[in-house]
Amino acid sequence: MPWQKSWLDTRWRFVIPLLVLVLNVWGLLFEYPRVAELLRTVQLQPDALSETGALGRAILESVSAERTYRGYVWYQWFRNNLSQLGTLMAVLLGSGNLLSGSTGAGTLFTLSLPRSRDAWVAARAAVGLGELLILIAIPSLEIVLVSPLIGQSYALSDAAVQVVCAFGVCAAFFSLAVLLSTIFVDTWRPFLIAGGSAVIVSLVESQLALNGPFRVMSGATYFAGGVVPWVGLTISAAIAIGLLYSAAFNLSRQDF
Amino acid sequence: MTDAWAVETVDLKKSYGDTEALRGLDLQVPRGSLCGLLGRNGAGKTTTLKVLLGMTRPTSGAARVLGLAADNRSDSVRIRQRTGFVSEDKDLYDAMTVDEIVRFAASLYPTWRKDVEDRYRRAFELPHHRRVQELSRGTRTKLALLLALSRGAELLVLDEPTSGLDPAATEEVLQALVSHVASDEVTVLLSSHHLPHIEQVADRVVIVDGGKAVVAGPLEDLRESYRRIQLVFADAAPQPTLRASGAIRSERRGRVLTVVCRSGLDQVLAELRPLNAVAVEVMPMSLKEIFFESVNGER
Repeated sequence: MPWQKSWLDTRWRFVIPLLVLVLNVWGLLFEYPRVAELLRTVQLQPDALSETGALGRAILESVSAERTYRGYVWYQWFRNNLSQLGTLMAVLLGSGNLLSGSTGAGTLFTLSLPRSRDAWVAARAAVGLGELLILIAIPSLEIVLVSPLIGQSYALSDAAVQVVCAFGVCAAFFSLAVLLSTIFVDTWRPFLIAGGSAVIVSLVESQLALNGPFRVMSGATYFAGGVVPWVGLTISAAIAIGLLYSAAFNLSRQDF
Repeated sequence: MTDAWAVETVDLKKSYGDTEALRGLDLQVPRGSLCGLLGRNGAGKTTTLKVLLGMTRPTSGAARVLGLAADNRSDSVRIRQRTGFVSEDKDLYDAMTVDEIVRFAASLYPTWRKDVEDRYRRAFELPHHRRVQELSRGTRTKLALLLALSRGAELLVLDEPTSGLDPAATEEVLQALVSHVASDEVTVLLSSHHLPHIEQVADRVVIVDGGKAVVAGPLEDLRESYRRIQLVFADAAPQPTLRASGAIRSERRGRVLTVVCRSGLDQVLAELRPLNAVAVEVMPMSLKEIFFESVNGER
């Protein structure tokens, strides 16, 4: 079945990052007691920091947020690590020729099989998005389960909302990589172009303090005020669907 | 167009930018035949096969496979459900093992023939757990053939199935093909450069040149109808003006005049009789000779 091929093509790009993320969360949580102790000694001058621009704002946001365990988890995991690594994983999972095998061969074999090209795109999208959701959800769930080991707790509802925010935006970057994979035959150009686009968006958003995709991904409004960024998530979902539709359309009109 | 043909194309054209790969190809392959598709490099053989399997869309014209329109998306899926294909490069998933790719292909075909799979696994001695990328070219070809034959297909489309194989492996593959066709009622469209291979297995031949079919018909009929007439004269050979439509070429060399005809031998001989040659010899032509006469252009 097409999903089997998609799974075999992407399994190592899923399993290895999953292990990395799980270990990353483990290290992050067990680091908390020392960070909390350190932050108790830090005194900030908010006005002076604000005047230093984006870097000062980041330091201020970091220290202010991390004074609580919920804030520490949000800032270190959902805002930083998951935003960056999640985007990277999304782009990696979406990259790679949809019709060939993982080594780049086998396109004509795929095209000789009794499935439409739309079915191959749908299979890659379904498997890739499923893997992406697991990549985001498992480490986040790990936070809920491991927190009691360090004498803390993290609400499952908080983790669930943060996962939805991260997945919604990562899905758009994944879909961009899928579209690029129908334009380029290799794995690296879609990866570099989609990854590069994410870096540019992130830099622009950070420098101009915009309410952009990475802010939606981090669930900042939910962390700060309990407001789920439905508008941003809806826009991301629409972009993801549009990109996947474009990928299917582009593939359907190609000659091999 | 009629469903009597397993494959039929009418005025099929395909252009890639300024390059015309097919320029009005008319092709008919009867059901149950083993048809050899011959042509030089770039003649349009592979493009034809790709159009038939929906890998490439024609610029114009029509192509039907097993009664279904090749350029219709849903029909194309149904065509591939009933067709086995081996590509020229034996393009398979390199990272899968032999077992994995066989299981993967089997899952896509309700008509998968486990008995055929087992038979060729034994006959070809395929290493179950070795990755495709580690297989020799010959073994890879055998695997590609197993995957095509086991689909329970009504039509096999094979693009240069013996390319790069040593003589022993070639013979093994051809014998497997012939015995499969004999035991299962399938149609085979076999593209190849290797004329002896086609001559060995095909009952029908289509020669493609410049994107068009220049010769088509049962192999026996072609062998019967093509003749080389050699006339020897006492002095320099004359240059005849032949009106018979069957004469396709004449060549003078010293005292010898050679005429090639593809039909109407008696008419051609009647036209040549007044030239008073001292000796006349009529010779049959091999497929190789017919091929070269066809692709070198009619004169």
